[in-house]
Amino acid sequence: MFKKIQNWFDERIGLTELINEFNGERIPARGGWAYTLGSLLAFLFTIQVVTGIFLLFYYVPYFPMARNATYYIKHHVLFGNILLGIHLWGAFTMIFFLLVHMSRVYFSGSYKKPRELQWVVGMVLFSVVVVLGLTGYMLIGNENSWWTINVLTNVASHTPVIGGFLRIIVRGGTETSVLTMQHIFAVHVWLLPIIVIMFIPVHIFLIRKTGEQGLPLEYKNSKLADDDINKWKHPDATVPFFPNQLYKDMIVALCVFAVVYMLAVVYGAPIGPMYRPLALNFAPEADWYFLANEELLKYFPGHGLIIFSTFLVPTIGFAILFALPFIDRGHERSPFKRPAAAVLGILFLLLLVYLTLIGGEPKAPATV
Amino acid sequence: MTKSSEESPSRRTFMMVVIGLISAVVGVAVAIPILGEVLSPLFKKRDIVWSKLGKVSDLKNIEPLVPKFVPVYFRVKEGWTVNTLPRQVIVVKDITGKLYFFSNQCTHLGCPLHWIPARQKFMCPCHGGMFNVLGKVVGGPPPRPLYVWVHKIENDTVLIQNKFLDNPKERGV
Ligand code: HEM
Ligand code: FES
Repeated sequence: MFKKIQNWFDERIGLTELINEFNGERIPARGGWAYTLGSLLAFLFTIQVVTGIFLLFYYVPYFPMARNATYYIKHHVLFGNILLGIHLWGAFTMIFFLLVHMSRVYFSGSYKKPRELQWVVGMVLFSVVVVLGLTGYMLIGNENSWWTINVLTNVASHTPVIGGFLRIIVRGGTETSVLTMQHIFAVHVWLLPIIVIMFIPVHIFLIRKTGEQGLPLEYKNSKLADDDINKWKHPDATVPFFPNQLYKDMIVALCVFAVVYMLAVVYGAPIGPMYRPLALNFAPEADWYFLANEELLKYFPGHGLIIFSTFLVPTIGFAILFALPFIDRGHERSPFKRPAAAVLGILFLLLLVYLTLIGGEPKAPATV
Repeated sequence: MTKSSEESPSRRTFMMVVIGLISAVVGVAVAIPILGEVLSPLFKKRDIVWSKLGKVSDLKNIEPLVPKFVPVYFRVKEGWTVNTLPRQVIVVKDITGKLYFFSNQCTHLGCPLHWIPARQKFMCPCHGGMFNVLGKVVGGPPPRPLYVWVHKIENDTVLIQNKFLDNPKERGV
């Protein structure tokens, strides 16, 4: 019976051949667990899309109602707390593993020729996913949403020349209003997810075109010199994607999903009180992945310097990350043979952790 | 019979130009209304209204140099709705008896200020901006003194507009 169905498809579109080609991709053999991170991200994103679609059965993107609709999902919809919890913790987990995946391809030098485009497309994905996180935070319609919208659109307004227009366009007017929420909704639910849905296949297509490079230790049997580009073309041993790599991918996906699910069930998604523009003692807080940036805003006082924290430092930082493969062009892959890159990478990660930790400290005025 | 493009390079060029042109025309035709839709807020006038804050005689009685937070409600058109925007007005009387009407939004990036009596300062919970009771920056990143609401006094009533004085870029609000 199954054979017959398979033949039906094969006679018409050669399905078996297609599947075999997809599954037969050769993956370097030694570092399989390190290569699960990319598919983990694709997995987590799928979960976000599925849970997100069903949150829309109840959610209302209207500022005076959004928070109560979210509250309703959490407290009155059967298992709504789990659905909302998965969407929240899934988002956090995704951003965390984005950083891990980026670090892994950074330290294994995977962004070097011929894989520059993989890195650039990855950076597009990274930027879009972070904005998805921020816009999601704004859609709850609670106090933090309200102040985050105000603060971030004000940050945007410091962009040279177009800043003022930018803020008005994003807000749908001079003030944060119901139109602002509608815009953010459209961006969070349609625009950005579609960009991710388009770019993940591009990312994976590119990786399949060049082949997975993997960790430098895949090449240790090679007799060629480290800075010889040919050394990095043929890993010592490979395994087929299916089932070897997919098996590991699935195990990692399950473990991470179990943690996300537990966090969703045990902690759920905090919703907080309705936004109150009149609040007198409210201290707005950013999500954890934005705390480093938030901390940056505390330095550079005064009129002349504000542009450093709101525009120059973040923009230049992002530009350097985007252009990394074109800046660091040596052929060395091993982090031990590229001490400058390795040290800078570690310092950058430490700085990120440090800024996040002090950015997350309780703010003085609220507690005085 | 029509010639295939392999036989006639000029025909090939012609077809490529047509393909390109059609894509460009459709692209531009769709982009125009989309751009209009996205940029539309730039061409909308903001709804500016006056709203009553309270009696001058009452406000004159507050203690000097102790800020009083008074809510004000602006009923304004926002897109397709009419909404009430609640906002805080910080009323301060200086030692000469002059009244100031500040906004409680930090001039850095707009967080809500807290008045800390022990320190006689407005403190911003976001990035540590500090203002003294008359709105001057005394610490942290804010680039300018507190915003002052556009206000006027008509037969003993203070009226406030949903607009700040001296704010050409219309920040805040
Ligand atoms: C939604 C986000 C992302 C998804 C779904 C994704 C998916 C993947 C997958 C499935 C792989 C192959 C397996 C592996 O090496 O892990 C991969 C590799 C790669 N990714 Fe991503 N990725 C994402 C984000 C990023 C980001 C943010 C960057 C860097 C800025 C990046 C850069 C790379 C590079 C350079 C490789 C090639 C690794 C090699 O050949 O050794 N990716 N990605
Ligand atoms: S918003 Fe007040 S210090 Fe930044």
